[in-house]
Amino acid sequence: MNDIFIIAGREFRQIAKMRSFWLTLLILPLCFAIGPVVQHLVGNNEASRVMVIDRTGGAEARALEQRVSLDHDRDVLTELSRYVEQHHLEAADRQALWSQHDRWYSDADVEQFIASGGLPLAKARIDRVKASDGPAFEAPANKYKFVAAPSSLAPLPEPMLDSALKPILKPRVKGAEAVDYVIEIPASFGASPLVRLWANRQPAADFMVLLQSVLTRDLRTRYLAAQGLSPRAAATASAIAPALAISTPPPGGGAKESMLVRSILPLAAAYLLMMSLVLSGSWMLQGTVEERSNKLLETVLACVSPERLMYGKLLGTAGVGIFMIVVWIACGLFAAYATKGAIADFIRPALDPLTSPISVMAMIYFFIVGYVTIATLFLAIGAMSDSMRDAQGYLMPVIMVILLPISILIQAVLGGNSGGILLEVLTWVPIWTPFTVLARLGIGIPAWEVVGSGILLAAFTAVELLLLGRLFRASLLAQGQRPSLAEVVARMRTAAD
Amino acid sequence: MSVLALERVSKRFDKVVAVDDLSFTVKQGAVFGFLGGNGAGKTTSLRMVLDIIRPSTGTIRVLGREPGRSNAPEIGFLPEERGLYRNMTALETIAYFGRLKGMSPPDARKEGAALLDRFGLSANSKSTVDKLSKGMAQKVQLATALVNRPKLLILDEPFSGLDPVNQGLLEQEIRNMSQAGATVVFSTHVMQHAERLCDKLLLLARGRKMFEGTLDEARAQLPARLTVVARTTPALLQGVESAQDCGEAGDGWRRFDVRLKPSVSPGDVLEQCTLQNFPLRQFEQLHASLHDVFVHIVGATETRP
Repeated sequence: MNDIFIIAGREFRQIAKMRSFWLTLLILPLCFAIGPVVQHLVGNNEASRVMVIDRTGGAEARALEQRVSLDHDRDVLTELSRYVEQHHLEAADRQALWSQHDRWYSDADVEQFIASGGLPLAKARIDRVKASDGPAFEAPANKYKFVAAPSSLAPLPEPMLDSALKPILKPRVKGAEAVDYVIEIPASFGASPLVRLWANRQPAADFMVLLQSVLTRDLRTRYLAAQGLSPRAAATASAIAPALAISTPPPGGGAKESMLVRSILPLAAAYLLMMSLVLSGSWMLQGTVEERSNKLLETVLACVSPERLMYGKLLGTAGVGIFMIVVWIACGLFAAYATKGAIADFIRPALDPLTSPISVMAMIYFFIVGYVTIATLFLAIGAMSDSMRDAQGYLMPVIMVILLPISILIQAVLGGNSGGILLEVLTWVPIWTPFTVLARLGIGIPAWEVVGSGILLAAFTAVELLLLGRLFRASLLAQGQRPSLAEVVARMRTAAD
Repeated sequence: MSVLALERVSKRFDKVVAVDDLSFTVKQGAVFGFLGGNGAGKTTSLRMVLDIIRPSTGTIRVLGREPGRSNAPEIGFLPEERGLYRNMTALETIAYFGRLKGMSPPDARKEGAALLDRFGLSANSKSTVDKLSKGMAQKVQLATALVNRPKLLILDEPFSGLDPVNQGLLEQEIRNMSQAGATVVFSTHVMQHAERLCDKLLLLARGRKMFEGTLDEARAQLPARLTVVARTTPALLQGVESAQDCGEAGDGWRRFDVRLKPSVSPGDVLEQCTLQNFPLRQFEQLHASLHDVFVHIVGATETRP
């Protein structure tokens, strides 16, 4: 057994000395760290600037501003409600709107929220019951900011606006802020439904919806008034809306969302298995090819049997793979700590699978056996190849066959697809079993399938180790051209000679 | 006591017989030469001794035991095709093979450092192999075979590819090992090394043993040859096979290349000369080289200079 550990140790050290190992090891956490920063830098978090040229007297512009303000307050109230629900802070004021989570907040609700003190009063009440180290509520940012139209624009006839608005939409002066949307509401609005919009980019869908709803409502009011309805009745008719009672899952806890969050850990395990296998497997393959091409093998085989050499290599590579995963998990934990629990709060439901010892055992079992199953394939390829170019000829098809269905599988699970013939097939084909079962653990897999596919995987791995062990032994000292399929089969059938 | 014994060992690869009914023994402390041309079966035989491959038939005893990795702590092996891990340092490499042969990490490193010192490489002990010259790497390879102070040192074509300095170093190491009581078995097709080092030789051709014995016994396989300077041809003397006249030697004397009949010694012929008052000015025995013996036994096609 000692020689297996000695070989495993050498394999581990050899890979750990490679620059590519450390680069690859750190790329994943770096990507995760850089991702949000890049998103923050590239993303547009600033409020869109809106200018309204209202030739009707200002009523339409005011209506738009009121709608934007109301929608923003609704966002604040909704987010506050979810925050209170997530952190169980209803005790702050059980009668408050933000303690009632089962409804869509109507305009009247929002107006009531503002009238009763709005966010400042709510926060003051919440602070009385909130734990001192609990995360503070952060209100969503304003999506739109209204800017006054220059007085020079108002008298301009509409055809001249195109050229006059150019420097406003895309200012050439350095440091000047561009206006994102300019809306011209002509004096004839009502009689004519025409309204013009200039934008410095493709208009956002939610802005168009907002604009259309405000103007449609006003058009309807005007129409109803024209039909003889009193202005008050016309306005009321336009504002009629259903009161929706909504049942939403608690944050991170409901149907699809919950399923996804619960799937994070098993999916991550499947993904990490895939990543670490491909990376460490190819390094192991490189090491085996080096031993063959450097004519080292005979010296090694004088000291250890081919089987023990194979086990040592598998163990060393598994060590590399597990080390990579430990580092990645440590980076994740560090991130959770560094973000003061924000990530931890989010992924807490993801740790649910760990509360069941059977799930934990299943994850460990499929991870390790899966590693051995696939890594043995890489090892056999290395033993048959005299150079990396030779090895690539085998490697690419094998990687494609193993990983392509897995990519589809992960997409399927992320899409909330918990069943289907694809998942069933992948579950029962041993080279895909470990990835599939790991991925399905979060979204739900019958126990009999876990046990059955686990037994099948163990049997397959035992036969694979036997056959590929023979191939490894027979190929180590063989020289010459790449073996044909018939030769590969013959080597597998040859017991130790 | 025999350290290595092969009894009627054969090895077949499909339809090719690589080793055919081979039997021999090697005694403790001997330097045993395994001679033969390319494809004679030398490497296959040594791989069977090391249990890298198994014989088709016959039995092998190594240090009194079956071949196997359990013998590795007492065996040193230098294969014909040599290589090292490029990213390991010289000392790590030697220590690694020492550990694979059952040594403890401190002992393996200590012995590795001592060998590097002996080979003049102590300054390079922390250099990775890819930074060593070819000659230095050859010394490191030799050290991997010697690190466990083996009782049986097996060297497969050890001199091939070595520069003259390292050839001398290796010859000296073989002598040192032998003097220390270890047994050395090496294969070669370069006869000069075998001539200088071996106590006993085995000649292989096409997998079959053609000869086994000492260097003198090998030379005795060839009829003795003499250079004789005489007035008349010695062809008529008893025991002489042929006498070729090689020309004038001055004052009426002539030089002859004389071949004796098998099993006739030069002393017998000299005695005949005396008895028959056959005048001689020069009588010199010529020693056959191992190369001549090899060519004589296995044929010219089996060897190369």
